[in-house]
Amino acid sequence: MSLKIRADVARVARDIVPQWPLHSFIAVNPLGGREGIDFESIRDSGIALTRSTPHYLADVQSGRITRENLSAAVIERIPELRAHSVRIGSRTISAAKLIVAELTELAPAAETVRASQRSDVVDEMTAKWVASFLDPHPLWPMPHRRDGFYAAWRALARHDPAVSRSARRAARTLPARADDAIGHALSELKIGTADADAVLRRQLAGLPGWTAHIKWRAEHVGDIDVVEYLAVRLSLHLVLGQPVEDATPSPSDGDESPWTRAIRLVEHLHGGADRGATASVARVLAMHPVRDHPFTFQRAYELQYAGELLRTINGTADDADTADPVAPRPDIADTAGTVAPRPGSAGTAGTAGTADTVAPRPDTQLVACIDPRSEGIRRHLEQLHAGIETFGFAGFFGIPIRFASYNSSSAIDSLPALLAPHHRVTERPRDPASAQQRTARLGAHQAFAAGIHAGESTTAAPFAFAETTGVLFGAMTVLRTLAPTIAARCAAALTSTARSESSVTVADAFTLDERAGLAEAALRMMGLSQFAPLVIFAGHGSTSTNNLYESSLDCGACGGNPGTANARSAAAIFNDPDVRRLLHERGLPIPSDTFFLAAAHDTVTDRIRPLDAHLVPPTHLDRVERFARLQHTASDALVRERAHDLPGASPRRTPDRTRARGDDWAEVYPEWGLAGNAAFIIGPREITYGQDLKRRVFLHSYRPETDPNGAGLETILTAPVVVAQWINHQYYFSALNPDTLGAGTKTVHNAIGTLGVLSGQAGDLRRGLPWQSVAFAGRLVHEPMRLAVIVEAPLDRISAIVSRNAVLRSLFDNNWISLTARENSGSAWYSYGRYGWSPTRQSNIPHHEGAAQ
Amino acid sequence: MNGLTKMTRLEVVVSGRDAPPVRELITSAGATGYTSVSGVSGLGHHGQHSGALLFNEYDTLFIFNNTPPPEKASALIDALRELLKGCPGVMFVADTYVSRPDYFQ
Repeated sequence: MSLKIRADVARVARDIVPQWPLHSFIAVNPLGGREGIDFESIRDSGIALTRSTPHYLADVQSGRITRENLSAAVIERIPELRAHSVRIGSRTISAAKLIVAELTELAPAAETVRASQRSDVVDEMTAKWVASFLDPHPLWPMPHRRDGFYAAWRALARHDPAVSRSARRAARTLPARADDAIGHALSELKIGTADADAVLRRQLAGLPGWTAHIKWRAEHVGDIDVVEYLAVRLSLHLVLGQPVEDATPSPSDGDESPWTRAIRLVEHLHGGADRGATASVARVLAMHPVRDHPFTFQRAYELQYAGELLRTINGTADDADTADPVAPRPDIADTAGTVAPRPGSAGTAGTAGTADTVAPRPDTQLVACIDPRSEGIRRHLEQLHAGIETFGFAGFFGIPIRFASYNSSSAIDSLPALLAPHHRVTERPRDPASAQQRTARLGAHQAFAAGIHAGESTTAAPFAFAETTGVLFGAMTVLRTLAPTIAARCAAALTSTARSESSVTVADAFTLDERAGLAEAALRMMGLSQFAPLVIFAGHGSTSTNNLYESSLDCGACGGNPGTANARSAAAIFNDPDVRRLLHERGLPIPSDTFFLAAAHDTVTDRIRPLDAHLVPPTHLDRVERFARLQHTASDALVRERAHDLPGASPRRTPDRTRARGDDWAEVYPEWGLAGNAAFIIGPREITYGQDLKRRVFLHSYRPETDPNGAGLETILTAPVVVAQWINHQYYFSALNPDTLGAGTKTVHNAIGTLGVLSGQAGDLRRGLPWQSVAFAGRLVHEPMRLAVIVEAPLDRISAIVSRNAVLRSLFDNNWISLTARENSGSAWYSYGRYGWSPTRQSNIPHHEGAAQ
Repeated sequence: MNGLTKMTRLEVVVSGRDAPPVRELITSAGATGYTSVSGVSGLGHHGQHSGALLFNEYDTLFIFNNTPPPEKASALIDALRELLKGCPGVMFVADTYVSRPDYFQ
């Protein structure tokens, strides 16, 4: 075995980001392997890092990007230009404005990045063999599969009628081992050591979707790896006589000389030549090459949104002329005539202990996922009732588990992809006999469904199958098409999916000390120290029909699964008297009358359904019932709000009409998921309370005073922010590169089991999100912006955390995401840069253009 | 030395995202065992590294400890050096002595 070959392959495959299978879709930054270098320095052929210049110019025209935003972006990128100006004729123009003038008034023709249209016989054949090897439900299993991918291919290639006789003969001479085959192919193809890395990289780039999935599979399943994949590819090149030196030319900078640009700009501004001015202008323009123009536009585009968002945040210094943010809005008065106070405005934090007055104890607290979709339901619930307080926390509620339902033969990893599952949680039915009966019925139903599927797909059976069952299934098809809600009810009745009452077995999965430790960490991270009688953990999931990407709409913090198992586990831990005793000893007492309830938030219907209702004590039944009524009203209001944006929906229709999209097998837009996500706010709820953030912001509750050593903030920045960044970049690059880093249109997708999808019947496995997740009717719905992380916490604490975590240094220093922070409400905002903190410039940029300086 | 058997001790420190190929190379080299510790903290060429993170194993440092017999050590050392050309990380190689050589084949 050649260890060196394996090391070479591992090294060149390092930047490939694994792709999870569809059934547990994990949003990833497809360029995440490059986070160690500056965002703008990536130069991959066929990959767009920004939109094209005409799009940005259209935004300038519409006011979506202002000249102030552009000036701010220029100065942020080139700080030395801040105090620099140039004299042209009688005018003195700041350097930033010169650059803005070139950007907006003399913009060069856009260079559209196009995906290289590769059509390669080796790609086609490799894709065919990989799909045959990995298909989880093949009609005819691939012979020799158990020997591994390369060995199985080598055994079959010598009989493959799709290749020439000479190729089949050549296949007989290939080495038996995959790593030896790579060495053999490189040698026979005359690839020298110096070129080997580049050749291997190009081979991996040939089918990036399959390569990314194989990398995931090597680590999680182990039946194939990148070495075997490359061995097949290179061996195919060898036996087919296909050359491998198909280097794609790297994109050229296309920069005009600064002098040429300066001549044009001076002529434009001055109306004639001025050699002295031209030299000065050229020196300025040289600091901002043409290649940087899209990045400046992109940053201005992001600054505009971030600036608006900062102004929205309560307590921002320049909002003194607005209404007192502490005062309740008149439209949130409840029916009893009281009004909703800002949560935590006085004493909610409990441990702060400095407030003169103590806020009344809330009636109910809802802990929802940080997912931007939760912002909507939180806002509507808070507006409905003064007694509801909400918190944002990662949707696995700090309980990372592998979960197996009592009636399931498999388990799900319900935890962030940053963690490996170490704790296995199951369910204990309250009535085992009844649960056994239900499980048997479910098993019979699944066997029936499998039989139907076999009848549909077995080569000889479809005609007989259609003859015998066509009437029944034809009627069902008509019903599913014309009355999807009724069809869904019929299917649910036939399936009998009702579950037995059960409880989760967290006490078997975690020691008492582990449970108390997780509970303490969660409370300190979200600043929850004063407890309502009812605290609800709402895990979220999404229910839709005929949607291969349904998992992409589930909880990202739960590994692309609904967060219900984690919510139930969290509730069980917090209701555990032994855990509460330890929490009390650690200074976090929970009142004896507080009950923690798990719930499920469906993001298609926006209903919140209580779970494990049989565990609710009689003393809390009324409160749970009251919350159920409130969420019903809040949910209706939110669904009407969402109907403004959903294609084909209307806020004038009943909310149930909009909810029915989840049952419609022809609906490609059951919900918008996280489209539009753009920011991540870490701070107490009162800084965003009452503000409509339009479901675009991840909201993580945090109070520095409950996190004395900063460990909670470090966890938020190194886990939820990292996962949110993956999601943000998944949407970003899927929107900008629908054909390469996105999955393209859903309409031509074919599934390979639950591995992924192909566009059509063959080819590469598609990566990223489908076009229908980010756009409608050819127009982007998702605004591609890098995540703006906004924190309210001591700056020195944030600095210390960033400086000791390489992942954060990479993300912030290399401009993958941005960081803005302030010490507390009312203090100034500061932006983090490679050289430390600087006052956020958004409001410092002069408002009027062209003024002499 | 006191009847002990001389062997080679390898220690590799890499980030969590680079741990799988290190693990794979060690096992591909025929090692029957290794030790890995996650959440390693320290200060190095790429700056400071926090220790264990509560909810992120992917971005913490791992240290691998492997003690192959001399005849296997050379190829593994070469392979790990090739791997480390493409990612942050360090490797330490030292002679060591073990009391149960049959555990380290």
